[in-house]
Amino acid sequence: MDSTKQFSSLLENSTLSRVERMRLLPMRRMTNRSRGEHLAGKGGTSTEFNDYRDYSAGDDMRYVDWNIFSRLNRPYVKQYRHEEEMHVMILIDASASMRFGDKFEKARQLAACFAVMGLMNMEKVSLFACQHAGQTPQILSPCTGRMSIKRVLSFLENLPAGGDFPIDMAVEAVLKQHRGRGVCVLLSDFLTFGAMERPMNQLFSAGLEVFGIQILCGLELNPELTGDLRFVDSETGMTLDVSSVGDLIGFYHEHLAGLQEHLAGLCRQRSGRFVCLDSGLPLETLVFDTLKRKGWVQ
Amino acid sequence: MSLPGFSALINAWWFLLLVPLIIFYFLKLQRPRMEIPSLALWRQVINDQRVNSPFQKFKRNLLLLLQVLLLCVLILGAMQPYLSRGTEQAQYLPVLIDNSASMAALDGPGGKSRLDEAKEKVSKLIDDLLADHRLCLISINSTARKLTDFTDNKRLLKEALSRLEVSQVPSRLEDGLRLAQAMSRVQQIDTVVLISDGNVPQEIDFELPFKLNFQKLTSGGANVGIVDFNARRSRTGWDVFARIEGTKKAEGSSGGPPTAKTMCEYELLQNGNSIKQESVSIEGGKAERLVFKVSTTIATSLELRIKPDSFDSLPADNVAYLELPAPRPLTVYCPRQMETYRNALANIPDVNLYPGTDNEPKTVDLKFAEGPISLGPQSSVVMNVGFVPEDLSSLVELVAGESEIIDWRRTSPLLQHVQLLDIQIADDPKLAKGVAERDFELAGYEILAQSRSGPLILERDLSGRLDYQLLFHTDRSSLVYRVGFPILVQNLTQIAAQRAHLLDAKAQATGVLPIQKITPDTEVQISGPNGQREAATSDSNGLLSGVGAQSVGGYEITGSGDPIKIGVSLISSSETGLRVAETLTFPEVSISAATTALKTDQPLWHWFAVAGLVLLLVEWWYFQKRPFGAPG
Repeated sequence: MDSTKQFSSLLENSTLSRVERMRLLPMRRMTNRSRGEHLAGKGGTSTEFNDYRDYSAGDDMRYVDWNIFSRLNRPYVKQYRHEEEMHVMILIDASASMRFGDKFEKARQLAACFAVMGLMNMEKVSLFACQHAGQTPQILSPCTGRMSIKRVLSFLENLPAGGDFPIDMAVEAVLKQHRGRGVCVLLSDFLTFGAMERPMNQLFSAGLEVFGIQILCGLELNPELTGDLRFVDSETGMTLDVSSVGDLIGFYHEHLAGLQEHLAGLCRQRSGRFVCLDSGLPLETLVFDTLKRKGWVQ
Repeated sequence: MSLPGFSALINAWWFLLLVPLIIFYFLKLQRPRMEIPSLALWRQVINDQRVNSPFQKFKRNLLLLLQVLLLCVLILGAMQPYLSRGTEQAQYLPVLIDNSASMAALDGPGGKSRLDEAKEKVSKLIDDLLADHRLCLISINSTARKLTDFTDNKRLLKEALSRLEVSQVPSRLEDGLRLAQAMSRVQQIDTVVLISDGNVPQEIDFELPFKLNFQKLTSGGANVGIVDFNARRSRTGWDVFARIEGTKKAEGSSGGPPTAKTMCEYELLQNGNSIKQESVSIEGGKAERLVFKVSTTIATSLELRIKPDSFDSLPADNVAYLELPAPRPLTVYCPRQMETYRNALANIPDVNLYPGTDNEPKTVDLKFAEGPISLGPQSSVVMNVGFVPEDLSSLVELVAGESEIIDWRRTSPLLQHVQLLDIQIADDPKLAKGVAERDFELAGYEILAQSRSGPLILERDLSGRLDYQLLFHTDRSSLVYRVGFPILVQNLTQIAAQRAHLLDAKAQATGVLPIQKITPDTEVQISGPNGQREAATSDSNGLLSGVGAQSVGGYEITGSGDPIKIGVSLISSSETGLRVAETLTFPEVSISAATTALKTDQPLWHWFAVAGLVLLLVEWWYFQKRPFGAPG
């Protein structure tokens, strides 16, 4: 990619222009009270007509449809859709485990895509990156409007990876600083020793619909290992001696599938979504094909 | 099948190496380090109950298992395991290998000889030799010869075995067994292995002090050969007789039934010139007698060759040699005072009696003497009359008195048809105190006739000289008036003529050359067939004896006057007939040929060595292979 000609090193211009025309499709309408361009479930004051209802005392007379009144001699009040602001919170797992393969690269690109979609749809977008446990996550404070795209992309481009922040604790740490309902995009490998039930509940309680995206590299999705090995955890440095690894690959796949099913279940039970993506696949395939087919974006 | 044993059980101490091996394995176990994003999933995998099944645990330490197996295999190999197969596990095992003439018999046209088959068996014995076992190879033919001492040096044993060749002589087992018996006085010998084609004397006068494992080889093919070749003097020359014998053919062989006839061409050569050539039909298992007449007045060499028209397994017996001496009268020296003997000799034809009108020769065929002081020419047959020889003077003395012969050996050539009963003798032999018949035997004499008080006629065959000793004087007895006296003298001339080969001649069999009378203390060269050369020295009497003749063919003795040519033939009915003894009969026990092949303790160490090598390769591969996907 020729950076001198590209708007961002994360996304090609063509990809960026396509992403700008896309928008998030949350399953639930979790919005902020503040006005936005995201249709709320309730009636509002936007320009988009929604329905009529009988006039009742105290209604604003400005919303009475006088044409109807002249024909029917009864007052009806026009209702408009309420477009509220949806907060798109993107949490990037920037721990050391994400440095394997293109995981972190893909996580940043996907974060950029989601952020651009949010900004282009006048949503409030905030970004969090968790690296070292016990430290404050790197935060890009909420921003809106396409003018913030450069800022968002710049934040992501300069985001380093490394550390031992587990995703479960990262969620808790982020929620302490986050305010607003909307969508929480979790970009992580979800390979943690901790349980994910509690952070999922916290996200749900905070009015955030979880977009769980597990990004795994080839070594994790399809490890082709044999012999006796001493595995070293990239985050904690802990070791694990495994003999005849080749014979355990089958068990590994079973446990990986179990983990994915468990995470998908956690998200689904909380009206969220979960998908596992291969970091080796091109970004265009992931965004314009996989996520679009699954109805995450349009 | 018995459990395996171990030749070097002490090496089991090496099993203690397992302890440091296991310790060092766990201390030094180095696995390739591989950084992965997270251990979370792998820890779950390791904690999986199925992963911790016994089989998975076994696989987890496969390298340790391979190393333990490798060490165990190497130590077991060092312990030198073997599968015991029975009696041949004796530590010291003499192996008697028959290399007599019949062992050259081939099993078929272009086949292998019995000796080759024996070598294969012995070679296997050598190959299976265990570390603490020793073999001793002994060849047996007419004598026994130790090829090696007890040794476990396989190279030495194989070399000695490869040098072993067939000796064209009949076989005798006693010498080999006695040699093994002598060795058993030094080493503990439980079993002796005999490998033979079974063409050995069936009855053996030997008391076995050990077990004998008789490994009989398969029989050779059909054979035709000369089993006898001799001649008898006739008025015009010699009547020559030959006997050709054929073996029965094997059942089912291409040559027809076992008794099928074999056409055999024969050729008789006189001094190298063919004088007769004909064919004879030999029936299997039967013999044919051939008669020739040879007229000659000089010494002649005869050679008989046969050529069977079908397969003949033993070529050594297809030729025979016969030396015919020049005909001449018997020369006898009898002093003039022994009138009775001279009178008896005068009536015998073809006898030149000395002293007479002619000059006395230096040697005669027969000599009479009546005193201890030797007078006259030398002779190979001497009749001493009327005195006690000096070497017997301590045993017996002659005193005046009457005696009579109470017993005599009627089968002795000297006393055949001689009636000695009621002969009055005026001399009485008196034995010294404590002397018995055995003392005469120890002195080399054999008693032919004896009185009540002591021996009267003695015989001694010493160094090619035959001495007859009449301790009484015939002139002081009534023997000279009996008809037995001229018969006695006639017998004596017959013996002398026989010794001088004047009556008959017989083909010289292989073994040793006949004693030759040559210049005393002279070294001569003996050249034999196949380029053999040997040197020998005659003794002070001019006798050349003990010259080996193991091969059929012509021998020539040079270096002492005119060359002496002697033809040596196999002439053995048992060897030619390839007769097989299934059972060897000893005085107290009979040994049957083993029905099973010789089984020895089977060493297993090389299998362990191979297993060790395979394990080493597997371990090397397992250790060296880079885990796929692991970072370099």
